[in-house]
Amino acid sequence: MTRTVLVCCGTGCLANGSKAIADKFEALIAEKKADARTECFVKRTGCNGFCENGPLVKIMPDDIIYYKVKLSDVEEIIDTTLIGGKPVERLLYKDDKGRPVTKQEENPFYAPQLKTALRNIGFIDPLKVEDYLAAGGYEGLKKALTMTQDEIIEEVKQSGLRGRGGAGFPTWRKWQTAREQNAEVKYVGCNGDEGDPGAFMDRSVLEGDPHTVLEGLAIAALAVGAEEGFLYIRDEYALAVKNVTAAIKDAEAHGFLGDNVMGSGRKIKFSVVRGGGAFVCGEETALIASVEGKVGEPKPRPPFPAIKGAFGAPTTINNVETLANLPVILRDGGKKFASVGTEGSKGTKVFALVGKVKRTGLVEIPMGVTLRHLIYDIGGGIQGDRPFKAVQTGGPSGGCIPENMLDLPVDFDTLKAKGAMMGSGGMIVMDDRSCMVEVARYYIEFLAEESCGKCTPCREGLRQMLGILTDICEGRGKKGDIELLESIGEMMQDACLCALGKTAANPILTTIKYFRDEYEAHISGHRCPAGVCTALTSFKVEADKCKGCTMCAKACPVGAVSGEVKKPHKIDPAKCIACGSCREACRFGAIATEGRKGK
Amino acid sequence: MADKILKEIIDRYPRERRYALAVMQDMQRHYSYIPREGLELLAGHVGCKVAELYSMATFYKALSLKPRGKHIIKLCNGTACHIRGSVNLINGINRELGIAPGETTEDGEFTLELVNCLGSCALAPVMVVDETYYGKMTLEKLPSILGEYRKEAK
Amino acid sequence: MIITIDGKACECEKGEFLLQVAKRNGIDIPTLCHHDGLPGQAACRVCLVEVKDGSRNQVTASCVFPVDHEIEVSTNSRKVKEERGMVLALLRMRAPGSEVIANMCEAYGAPKIGRLKPVVDGDKCILCGLCKRACASLGNGAIETLMRGTQKYVGTPYDQPSGDCIGCGSCAEVCPTGAIEMKDEKGVRTIWGSEFRLVYCRECGKLIGTEEYMKAAGNTDDLCDECKGRQTAGMVKDFLKQR
Repeated sequence: MTRTVLVCCGTGCLANGSKAIADKFEALIAEKKADARTECFVKRTGCNGFCENGPLVKIMPDDIIYYKVKLSDVEEIIDTTLIGGKPVERLLYKDDKGRPVTKQEENPFYAPQLKTALRNIGFIDPLKVEDYLAAGGYEGLKKALTMTQDEIIEEVKQSGLRGRGGAGFPTWRKWQTAREQNAEVKYVGCNGDEGDPGAFMDRSVLEGDPHTVLEGLAIAALAVGAEEGFLYIRDEYALAVKNVTAAIKDAEAHGFLGDNVMGSGRKIKFSVVRGGGAFVCGEETALIASVEGKVGEPKPRPPFPAIKGAFGAPTTINNVETLANLPVILRDGGKKFASVGTEGSKGTKVFALVGKVKRTGLVEIPMGVTLRHLIYDIGGGIQGDRPFKAVQTGGPSGGCIPENMLDLPVDFDTLKAKGAMMGSGGMIVMDDRSCMVEVARYYIEFLAEESCGKCTPCREGLRQMLGILTDICEGRGKKGDIELLESIGEMMQDACLCALGKTAANPILTTIKYFRDEYEAHISGHRCPAGVCTALTSFKVEADKCKGCTMCAKACPVGAVSGEVKKPHKIDPAKCIACGSCREACRFGAIATEGRKGK
Repeated sequence: MADKILKEIIDRYPRERRYALAVMQDMQRHYSYIPREGLELLAGHVGCKVAELYSMATFYKALSLKPRGKHIIKLCNGTACHIRGSVNLINGINRELGIAPGETTEDGEFTLELVNCLGSCALAPVMVVDETYYGKMTLEKLPSILGEYRKEAK
Repeated sequence: MIITIDGKACECEKGEFLLQVAKRNGIDIPTLCHHDGLPGQAACRVCLVEVKDGSRNQVTASCVFPVDHEIEVSTNSRKVKEERGMVLALLRMRAPGSEVIANMCEAYGAPKIGRLKPVVDGDKCILCGLCKRACASLGNGAIETLMRGTQKYVGTPYDQPSGDCIGCGSCAEVCPTGAIEMKDEKGVRTIWGSEFRLVYCRECGKLIGTEEYMKAAGNTDDLCDECKGRQTAGMVKDFLKQR
């Protein structure tokens, strides 16, 4: 029989040494060839999304998946599984009850997922177009080539697909506008400038299944009547740039792109543009400016890019995940796609579930599932079973959602109504040791640096808000600060030039709305309830809880903790930098925080 | 000598403004910064003013106008890393090497850069030295990792 | 088509920008970064108005809002006053040295917010970007906006005197707050760290520009436009007389 070893080679697993593991599998299998009954192949796949437990190794067709595989495990896997056909138990995932799990779909992290955009990732070698074809690739494009522009747009309209990059604008409508333009040259673009800190689904798709993005973009090109397209990808995503560049070459060689697409006589040419490292370039008009070789400053709209975009030509820009859904919509029909999801938000959505949850990674689930399901069932709950405090959705443009809203269905409209947004799908989970004022300050600092700086409200508003938030975090908050932050924020929602500015105050406005008491504790109580803001926090050991295990003393980077083994420890306030390392290290909850006065 | 390499980088691209960013990225990769002559040559190549390119070079974070250290420490300050303690690591590196984000050590060995999200959130907090990823970083691990690169330098 | 601004019926064409329509109809909307010769800057955001479009109300910058269909516009609603006031209050911190901003704050009732901090004492620049556009189209592309976000500023490459600057002074001319220093003294102009010899009309003695500007403009006879016109007219007259 034939067995295939699938080694995850996404950025996360590579960081954990998966390349060496794949190399060793190849070398040892070649060397052993021992068992003539099994023929083994090694495949390097894209990101499986469960990076925290990487490197991941899957054996097919046995459907056994191993986690945290080390170089030294390779030989045992070959002997036991590849030759012996049995699982290596110690490398299996243990579920919440501690039982080992063999199959990927039995793992509580994967079980509830429904994959459309990520359907191939982890199973195919992204660099082999044959793999993509075997998985039904380029069928959607083939079908689109037999359809008229209006038929393609109608199919996508039926699917109810909305842009996965942020605002959730209906994909078909954008296309329709560009399609109606009478222009000789039109462009289609892929927005791969994933800049939300805490989101990495686009990276995963570009790396792990580049052909699906190309196919989606080719379908977009047919729909709007463009022959040229570009994929704007963050330069930091080196592997994504490499794989997409290679995939374009391959697709051209196989006739899926180029001068005569699948023998239709149609011409579609794509090129990769590397982003320069600017969050604002995720905004369409800024992205277009960057593609033109200019500073990435947004432009006022109208005119909308679909009417006047890159080099003055009608241009549609779609997000990576949006494009990854299109081949499936064309292949299986828009109706089928629309059978999943909610009334206003169809299909599935990929989330990057990160922060203080037990299981972090990429998750694709139908629109409309609750936050609770996402965080507790898939994510396994909060690390260390600490209390949940908030989940930040939508990155810097999104907002923080509190515990009493955990049963909200996750879709475009519900989140927006609560002042947050879906954004590109970042879900950052926070526990009682996350300070909401500091989180707001963090996002505002990020935006103050990432704003293009062109319009007054965004540049100066962020500057002043950052000043005030920093003051609050450092114990210089004043009465009236909360109201002032609110009025600057509300002004920005109207007055800013682009979407970055208009949504920039969301992290502040939602944290004030849902965690006002925390702001007040900082300003009037002179303490940081989460124990994060160092100027407002001091740590102390609660002697009755301390077992004298010395973990805190070991973790302290400045030697402020002292004490004898098995006796209560002490923190020297003069040396303590309030970094909280001791609290993280303590397994007995013996480190308490209190405010700090007179600073 | 430098001129020859710069010309070679520039000549890989057509004489169009749209390739200016790509050329600068290639220069950055080769030199770890964009030399002044590079900007001047490129302005001539694509037919624009030096000021426009300089504006881009200061706008895009991936581009630098100053030479950087031999080893580049990229510390991720994406949200996931941030709430898992990347700020402590900034302070820790400062204690170890005496540099703040954006700075280079006096001996030219290390440059510390704060980056926005490396998309490796599941491994947070993440530090990358040159091309090597260090996931789940702690203050405890810091001295030995940096020590390795220091040893290498000597 | 007809739109209403502050209750007044104003005639306009489809695609015309609101600010333009208001101006033509004598309705005051304050603005800093709008210049008829260099339109579409959309940076200062002082020209906010409230647009009522059916059931939708939105506050928006009027300089880049094209009129598409019949709408109702207010330049002085409570919301406009509040938000414009906040924009101006922020600009006062941005450019604490600017009299223009101080006066505008006064005129439009911008709140005095003690909690906000001035960015750089005495600074007059509001970063509207008109200077760099003037430089690109009338001058020689010597200055640009540099950096981004809150670090943004206007300058020359490497913050050194630029070889591209021709001392034409377009940047200083177009600046709404007089933030660009330009000094003409003893036949020499100093601007952006460079010095330029001034050229005066050899007929009437009027200042016509710098040597570098003359060269760039292809003016070799050192005459101002009027004197040149007069001279040409004289030549034509002479020519006709000879016939």
